[in-house]
Amino acid sequence: MNIVAQTAVVLTLALAAAGTTYWVKGPPERGVRCDAVKLKSDEVCLERVMGEWQGRVLWVDARPRGDWQRNGMAGAALWNLDTDENMQTFEAEVMLRMQDGLRVVVYCNNENCGTSRQVAERIKALQSGNEVFVLYGGWRALAAAKLTKDFK
Amino acid sequence: MRTAIYSWLAMAGFLHAAALTFEKELLVIDAPADASSIVADFSFENKTGKPVTIAKVDKTCACIDAQVSDGKLVYAPGEKGQIRATFDMKNFAGVVNKTVALYLDDDPPNQPSVTLTVEVHIPVLVVLKEKTLKWSVGAKPETQTIDITMDYAKPIKIVSNSCTSDNFKVEVKTLEEGKHYELQVTPSETKDPGLAIIRIETDCDVKRHQILQAFAVIRRDLPPLP
Repeated sequence: MNIVAQTAVVLTLALAAAGTTYWVKGPPERGVRCDAVKLKSDEVCLERVMGEWQGRVLWVDARPRGDWQRNGMAGAALWNLDTDENMQTFEAEVMLRMQDGLRVVVYCNNENCGTSRQVAERIKALQSGNEVFVLYGGWRALAAAKLTKDFK
Repeated sequence: MRTAIYSWLAMAGFLHAAALTFEKELLVIDAPADASSIVADFSFENKTGKPVTIAKVDKTCACIDAQVSDGKLVYAPGEKGQIRATFDMKNFAGVVNKTVALYLDDDPPNQPSVTLTVEVHIPVLVVLKEKTLKWSVGAKPETQTIDITMDYAKPIKIVSNSCTSDNFKVEVKTLEEGKHYELQVTPSETKDPGLAIIRIETDCDVKRHQILQAFAVIRRDLPPLP
């Protein structure tokens, strides 16, 4: 068998395997799979926020200002760590909006970005008494659930 | 057929062996109190037998800048290089961890070959023990205090303070000039919910410790959340 035929056989087998997987398991999972058992103590799954808490939380967007304006959660407060921003303005705005005792849920881009945890620590340091969480999966989880502004 | 499979397996192994070896992937830096930025240099060497290409250096914050030495992206076997991370500390104090993700040319998205971390210890020169003072609606309008200590070689004085609400009286009590103060906050009444922002100005020569903020809150006891 020459090299072209061999390559064709390998590609055909790979394609057949991929097709079978798609047929048996369905399309690839594009959402964020959140396992409540494996969460860190300060993290929360989107399912819990939208289900058990009925979405009644103060959302805090820890991404850059442009992202928050373009496709953040409707009504989310902005608090990122960019050097051009004024931290005291963020503090005052979030403090004001925490007065009704809502839980606070902070998100950044995805489950790997650490900014949301750092912002959550800063919100906790305000000692307001509100519970503060980091959203597992971040904005990627919100977008997969079509909850961000650009889906409204 | 065997030739094709062996070639594919050999290629797969070769691709995944490509990597750069770093002397340290975590650098811990004690920043001087008056520094506005710090630089962390991560040295590496290509210890593999083939050239390695840096595809992308990804920052996790606008506060950090990362550059490969001389902008060089392809490293031959045995060749050494450096990644310089510059961290702007303007909005930070205390212990801060910042990361830089290094993607090589065969890395899948979101799976960098190396994640470099710079841990910066930034001195906190003015320490507010309490950030928020709280009263319940209808409670006795008693005075509460915020303890303020200065942790710096030079004395730091409180030069002024302001409050956004007329309902709160704010007074500074000096316990040790330049070292230790107490901010005494008294509401005139607590019958309605309210929030006041208290700003404290110091004469500290480090800009990020010149204006500090605290809060005074009168709020209703809330029913338990679902």
